[in-house]
Amino acid sequence: MNRWLIVVGREYKTRVRKRAFIISTLLGPFLLVGVVAAILFIGMSSTEMNSKVLIVDHHNLLTYNIPGEEGVLKASCQECFAERSFLEYSFASKALDTEAFLESEFTAMIVFDDGIMQHAKALLQYEFAAPMKVQSAIKRDLGEAIERLRVKSESKLDYETYKKLKVQIGLSTENIVTEDRNIENKSVVGFVFSVFMFMFIMIYGMHVMRGVIEEKSNRIVEVVISVVKPEHLMGAKIAGIGLVGLTQIAVWSLLSWLLFLGFGVYAESSGLLLNSMGEQGAQVAATDFMTFIQSNEELGVLLQVNWGMMLGWSAFFYLAGFALYASLFAAIGAAVEQESDAQYLLLPAMIPLMFSYIVNVFIIESPDSTLATFCSFFPFTSPITMMVKLSVGVPWWHVAVSSIILIMTVLLMVKLAGKIYRTGILMYGKKPSLREMARWLMYKNT
Amino acid sequence: MNDTPSLELFDVSKRYGTHIALDGVSLEVPQGSIFGLLGPNGAGKTTLIRMVAGITGPDQGSISFFGEAMSSEHISLLGYLPEERGLYKNMRVGEQAMYFARLRGMGKKEAERELTDWFQRLEVDGWWDKEVADLSKGMAQKIQFIVAVLHKPKFLILDEPLSGFDPINASRIRTEINRLRDEFGTTILLSTHDMSSVDELCDHVALINNGKKILEGPVNALRENARAGRIELKFRGNLIGFTAALGAGAILHEALSLGDNIHDVVLGLPPSIPIEQFLKWATTEVDVLSCTPKVVSMDEVFLHAVNAVSNTDPS
Repeated sequence: MNRWLIVVGREYKTRVRKRAFIISTLLGPFLLVGVVAAILFIGMSSTEMNSKVLIVDHHNLLTYNIPGEEGVLKASCQECFAERSFLEYSFASKALDTEAFLESEFTAMIVFDDGIMQHAKALLQYEFAAPMKVQSAIKRDLGEAIERLRVKSESKLDYETYKKLKVQIGLSTENIVTEDRNIENKSVVGFVFSVFMFMFIMIYGMHVMRGVIEEKSNRIVEVVISVVKPEHLMGAKIAGIGLVGLTQIAVWSLLSWLLFLGFGVYAESSGLLLNSMGEQGAQVAATDFMTFIQSNEELGVLLQVNWGMMLGWSAFFYLAGFALYASLFAAIGAAVEQESDAQYLLLPAMIPLMFSYIVNVFIIESPDSTLATFCSFFPFTSPITMMVKLSVGVPWWHVAVSSIILIMTVLLMVKLAGKIYRTGILMYGKKPSLREMARWLMYKNT
Repeated sequence: MNDTPSLELFDVSKRYGTHIALDGVSLEVPQGSIFGLLGPNGAGKTTLIRMVAGITGPDQGSISFFGEAMSSEHISLLGYLPEERGLYKNMRVGEQAMYFARLRGMGKKEAERELTDWFQRLEVDGWWDKEVADLSKGMAQKIQFIVAVLHKPKFLILDEPLSGFDPINASRIRTEINRLRDEFGTTILLSTHDMSSVDELCDHVALINNGKKILEGPVNALRENARAGRIELKFRGNLIGFTAALGAGAILHEALSLGDNIHDVVLGLPPSIPIEQFLKWATTEVDVLSCTPKVVSMDEVFLHAVNAVSNTDPS
């Protein structure tokens, strides 16, 4: 067997059979789903705490006194302040002072005055911060109550007629060239891909650096490069470890898909689907999972994304982006003798990677901006930026040019890194400066 | 023995930046020899070894194996044990040895067979599935030695092969080095500081200092040369009288009185006087107990040559 392949095989085999790799590969998707579920659960359980809000209405703008019961107020508009499982209103004509408020059963208090009527701004006072869900419910309720007051006082319409006349426009979008629709939601999917891309390049790039440092520091590299050329050893290491990452991506994709289907089957058979449809007041009576997903505004995007295309390009951009950064990390590993010495060289190498990750937050907002276009061509950022661009649709030539630039850069970088690697791997004793490493590039190929 | 040297270096130079690591070195390592490569630290031994092992190439000059210019074809003929050596920590012993055997071009079955044989020979059988991290330093070194010789290389490079071994295991490794030469005709290039192992193992040596070769040849010839006609004479009699009688015929280098009027002296004879003629004369002066050519250790050869060069070469 070709010596190069034997080295690739070693790099691959010794890593994929590690317990940590197997566990993280098999449990990754479950862990991810688990974390999301835990966040949702914690979010939900925090709203289970019943919020009791006291609305102080000095001038009986929203309330009336119950005859015969001194000081007890009731909302004029019962529908506006409907009781919810997590929110309960009480009304009073006088505000409580701090001490009395702390002793009371109320969790929050709003003083309703003319200011609210004029500026539509209210002050919510609390001892424990009210969850976002409670706050938005209060905003909606107060808004509707004020709207009713205004409609009543300023127009001849009754509120029901007013409501019928009111229109809210939803905006769907379509790219006239690529015919891609609703890119806003899709770009979120692209963003998730780019986060994984960043993570994989980073984690496995570090593997390459550590592998190089291990071989150098225990001097085993001398035996290996007496058989395989240093550049080939570096290439084999990058290839082997790159394949480890690709294996993990493949297993994660497969498991996530199975998990998604499995959840669908569970949702269909357990009636969970009907419950949640009922809660959302959906008009489509969907009994199967896919129809449910399709009819859901946020989840519907999952069916609009071209997963095959996304995964295929992810694999390509992962391998190319990984090769680019891994060769940099390999050169850094070869220049030092222990990991702690690598820090000062790592920083400049990681800046473009970090930059492309951070800049992505802006790119999902406007995937066609100049910044996004630049980053999708610039080889050090394109593997990450292209994930967002691909998810929202991008002309074929754009992908082709970006890929070609990336491949050319990878070839150049592997060649340059190979030169630094070749010299650095046999040097011991002193930490080289960047200038010295640049000089290694000039050494003859012997 | 075939006359073609197994390794031939011709006018080999290597520089790193402004530092000249090797400067026009030529060497011939005869087939089937144990060739000692000697020299002080920083002399250029490691550079030379790395070039012979195929790790780096010369800037100038040529290297040939068995009469052919060095190429990747020779990889499977070579075995290499570097001075500072290690093993992969995340692999098991057997698996690791197999990896290197296959890199050197051995088939799986053949490698397994040889490994089993070597493991028994060096009494490490049962270690196949051991984690490398669990090995002691000496254990790891045995494995490293096996890895270097497993594929029966025709040319074996050993850089300080005995350092770190206890005396028992060092002697076992010495036996194996000799066996490789005697049984398989392996040529061994052995770099070391340890002169006793040169005395015991090597039949040829070369001495390198400041990137230049200052001495090369068969061990016996070099010893004879360094002896420079000195003999060791043990006699009973008057030392002062004997010395006076020597006159200009021979030079007294060392003298040691052993008591009871017995003396041990080292004398330098001029090439014009054969030892037999001198002995004939000496018996007339004193009671000669023994007379032998002075035994010169490789240590002395080494020091003598290095001093000679540093005295004449200010660089």
